[in-house]
Amino acid sequence: MPDNSVLSLNGKPTQPLGVGFPYFAALPADLYRSDLVSFVEITPETLCRQRANGTTTQIEIIPDRIATAQDTCARLPVVVHGVELSIGSAHGLNDAYLQMLDSFQKEWPFVWHSEHLGFQTIAADNDSTLEIGVPLPMPATVEAVELVAGRSTAIQQRYSVPFLLENPAHYFSALPADPEIGNEYGFLTAFTEKSGCYLLLDLHNLYCNAVNHHFDAREVIDTLPLDRVIEIHVAGGSWRDGFWMDAHDGRVPEPVWELLEYVLPSVPNVAGVVFELLEDYAIRLGAPAIENELKRAWQIWNVRHGAN
Amino acid sequence: MALIDFQTALGRMLREQNRDDYRRDISLDEGESRYFENLRDTAEFRFYAGVQRSWCIARATKAAHLTLSLLPPEERERLLDEWVDSGSGAQSFFFVEAESFLDFIGAYLVNRPREFTVCQFERATLRASNGANVFVSPDPATLKQPDCCVRRGSYAAVVRLAEVFSDGVTVMFSPGLPQLWHEPSSEEMDLWEALDSPTSVSTLLDSGHSLETLERLLTHGAIEYSD
Repeated sequence: MPDNSVLSLNGKPTQPLGVGFPYFAALPADLYRSDLVSFVEITPETLCRQRANGTTTQIEIIPDRIATAQDTCARLPVVVHGVELSIGSAHGLNDAYLQMLDSFQKEWPFVWHSEHLGFQTIAADNDSTLEIGVPLPMPATVEAVELVAGRSTAIQQRYSVPFLLENPAHYFSALPADPEIGNEYGFLTAFTEKSGCYLLLDLHNLYCNAVNHHFDAREVIDTLPLDRVIEIHVAGGSWRDGFWMDAHDGRVPEPVWELLEYVLPSVPNVAGVVFELLEDYAIRLGAPAIENELKRAWQIWNVRHGAN
Repeated sequence: MALIDFQTALGRMLREQNRDDYRRDISLDEGESRYFENLRDTAEFRFYAGVQRSWCIARATKAAHLTLSLLPPEERERLLDEWVDSGSGAQSFFFVEAESFLDFIGAYLVNRPREFTVCQFERATLRASNGANVFVSPDPATLKQPDCCVRRGSYAAVVRLAEVFSDGVTVMFSPGLPQLWHEPSSEEMDLWEALDSPTSVSTLLDSGHSLETLERLLTHGAIEYSD
């Protein structure tokens, strides 16, 4: 079992992990056994199935899938990157997800845990839960910050590892905002102050928003609480109907690599950079192209960390 | 604006793109109502709506690839539109979404034997492969206990392919088989037919079904213990 005691709860990394990659069962296991991947990011839901249990639903870990993943990634530290929690849903978050994560942590301890800032469920007319079908952004309001911060603090205590929130890509240029919070990036600052939790800075999401909403990503980076950034994502996207979409469908655009070069010297507690892809596109892109992207990430990481 | 009202209105606007009553049971003042009305007219909302719709269609298409491939493109498109317009297609777990959509499409195809059979085949494959993820072969020794009852397996199905193949093959899907299906023997089919409701093992044995057949189908997951 790998050493997962890399971070203490005060978020001070004792040992940066380096460059990571998501776990995909369909990719060659050799990729996860190479020097190019020094930690693995697991989305636990991909190893699970959902099952109705009376009026509620359960998310169950599929034993064979987690066993295969553990075998493939045996030497690597693991971080969890969830998508089903819907941490910002005002009607309630996904308790079934947290119950599943309780079991997951017992089977496969993780170094930290991250989720997306946003909501993807609403209450139905009969008070059951409706999935919207796409993740949506939070308004930059005091109520929203307090809701997410309170839940995040509880989650961080529940798992006794740092909890990170990821800045989302979204396509709305005018979201409701309170003056005390300002905007979505003010939300991240207020969130870290109120929750004691951390940030996953997704540079491709920031790039998307900068392209679609016409602002300078570097100016925004300079306003963020960079000492709270533990993990960074880089990813690819594509144009669709006049918007640059956070599609995770290919190589990292050059401006995103440049943002990584810009921000790395300013994030003292960063412990890892992950190249994100969707599984279907990872298969299409293929291992050699993925390895090239990982090498590029290592080059930038090593400049910051003084390695050869 | 209260967070829950913002989220409910926005979520409904995207889920119910053909309805105008997204404000039902929500308290919005004039300015807040104007915010949503203006939002609906923006390119960014239309983009979100397009992404939401295309993701819902992609989930359904992935679920019923085989059945949909038998239908003419216009009919396929109309069925997918009807599915998404009903608010479906948004579930993130594949098997939940797939089973719901195959039920929907099966009801539509019930009077078209060939397409209906393929739909049943696809649904049976899906259920068995979902069951295979968690199936643990039960101990057949329990069959010999007094009052033991069995029923058809939760992830099992029988599909008769007479409408598709001239030789009328019947296949039995079971989550415990490596390839998920086999061509059942006449004894196995007799037992399957007898289990249209949970039945005690003693009744089945008295009716001439063999313990060997019961044990075989039990270990495959074609039948299971019933409380």
